[in-house]
Amino acid sequence: MEQQNKEAVKFESSPPTGIQVVLREFKKDKLAMFSFIGITLLIIALLIAAMILNQEEVLKIKLLERYTEPGVNGYILGADEAGRDMFGQLIIGAKNSILIAISITVIAGIAGIALGIIMGYYGGFIDNLFMRIIDFFMTLPTLMIIIVVVTIIPKYGVIELILIITIFQWMGTARLVRSKALSEGRRDYVSASKTMGTSDFSIMFKGILPNLSSILIVDLTLSFAGNVGIETGLSFLGFGLPPSTPSLGTLVNYARNPLVLSEKWWVWLPASLLILILMLGINYVGQALRRAADAKQRLG
Amino acid sequence: MNTAKDLLTIRNLTTSFRIKDEYHAAVEEVSLSLRKNEVLAIVGESGCGKSTLATTIVGLHNEINTKVTGEILYNNQNLTQLSEEQFNRLRGNDIGFIFQDPLSALNPLMRIGEQIAEGLLYHTKLTKQQREERVLELLNQVGISNPNRVARQFPHQLSGGMRQRVMIAIALSGKPSIIIADEPTTALDVTIQAQILDLLKSLQSETEAGIILITHDLGVVAEVADRVAVMYAGQVIEEAPVQELFRNAKHPYTRSLLNSIPQTHDENDKLEVIHGMVPSLMNLPREGCRFSARIPWINESLHEKKPQLHEIAPGHFVRCTCWKHFHFEGEEGGGTV
Repeated sequence: MEQQNKEAVKFESSPPTGIQVVLREFKKDKLAMFSFIGITLLIIALLIAAMILNQEEVLKIKLLERYTEPGVNGYILGADEAGRDMFGQLIIGAKNSILIAISITVIAGIAGIALGIIMGYYGGFIDNLFMRIIDFFMTLPTLMIIIVVVTIIPKYGVIELILIITIFQWMGTARLVRSKALSEGRRDYVSASKTMGTSDFSIMFKGILPNLSSILIVDLTLSFAGNVGIETGLSFLGFGLPPSTPSLGTLVNYARNPLVLSEKWWVWLPASLLILILMLGINYVGQALRRAADAKQRLG
Repeated sequence: MNTAKDLLTIRNLTTSFRIKDEYHAAVEEVSLSLRKNEVLAIVGESGCGKSTLATTIVGLHNEINTKVTGEILYNNQNLTQLSEEQFNRLRGNDIGFIFQDPLSALNPLMRIGEQIAEGLLYHTKLTKQQREERVLELLNQVGISNPNRVARQFPHQLSGGMRQRVMIAIALSGKPSIIIADEPTTALDVTIQAQILDLLKSLQSETEAGIILITHDLGVVAEVADRVAVMYAGQVIEEAPVQELFRNAKHPYTRSLLNSIPQTHDENDKLEVIHGMVPSLMNLPREGCRFSARIPWINESLHEKKPQLHEIAPGHFVRCTCWKHFHFEGEEGGGTV
């Protein structure tokens, strides 16, 4: 009897919750499931390994060990032209790239969400003003400006790089959130909240924001992948992180030397593969989330 | 018309919407009053300005696209002059609002308990535990049998009737002296409608609140209202106590509305309709009797040039003089009534 009651309670709340929908979507899409588990483990492993590793030791120049081949002398992935351990550099570089991408995603995400909700909720003049500012930022040639700024700034490090990229990354999120907040903010439950005497701030961030969470998760996941790409791309071009700080981009940058490119594959190939795996994996996860957020595209 | 007992007094209220840089009045020169412990029904077709009137009272229109003139007096305060902050102190506490569609008026991602407690959070100094107790009490009051479970559920897990009960609980949370119900039964089926109306009535007798009930269902009006204001094209065209209105309707529009209630005793009976439709906001004739276009068989000269409300019996007001000569199409015009 007890058992029966429990069953009844279970069936009563029939529409699946958000997490159940996402889980079902991942179960249907084995690739996304595999990517999600793989990426999570990979990132955790990289971050832990980077903490254990002695960075100074890794970056110490040992000219005698120049271009050591993989597997020789305890160099798992060989050494570069200065005799630095490629495996250690790969881990530290990946950690740097991922942390930078996460920081950019979080900062640009918070700015974009806050602005987008304010624009969508109030509409009118505020909306128009910020939309024109966004249009202005969108038309700027991002890469050129970042390169110019990087060259001009005298002291230049990780934090400066994060801020510069962030300045050009908040618009997409802001526009997306704005369009959704615009429709969500005209819904009855917002008016109902107002008739309860709820302040605008509470309505925006306690009422409307949770209702945008599905598109936000998708947007932030995909922009995380994009940000990894932007940082590595800039570093590859030599305008990202300074050479003293390894990142996936600086490692790939070694391939600009024809000798390295043609004969010393172990210097650049692992970093390139890691970028590929990261980007693909995050994108598969993001796409599965996107399908879960939109009932029409769902597989499960 | 206005006595000291009035809870809410609306004087010459005009709400205009901006369309292509021109203001068009959706509610025009409306004067009404609501007394304590009274149900004032506002009836009319869709597009007559009923809901606009209701949302104007609680200040839901933004200042960018709407212009509100006139007075809404409550406790010696003019609601149209209040700042957002002052209004927030009043809304949810003194004035409760019940929406038409309870599903869209509840936040889909907030538990029922939290949504009811929201008003308490802003208007009372209750502790978290006291608020929870009050939520259960409110849910009990609106006739929900297992408040403990419902408080933890989300809106999509409830049935339509239960959602509307929750909406009523929310409106009641601040112990309001005025409840505005904007077509509270439209989204519900007939049996639930009756339950909700009974609930509203019994709650009113408990709390002695004044209720403004907006509806286009004359059956609902007959059931619960004490006084009725009929609106057409933004104006009040007839106002009377409910008995008087059903027995002695005067204005052609009111009579046409009553005439178009389906009769069930004769299956060959044709459903009476009112010709044409409510003119849209931009094409509204601003002069003369607004209903004249839909009763073309009545001679133009019988309408007033500038129709005013005339008190024809104690508490019974009718706009325009055309009612004196009105007859339905096909009937013989009988001179003066």
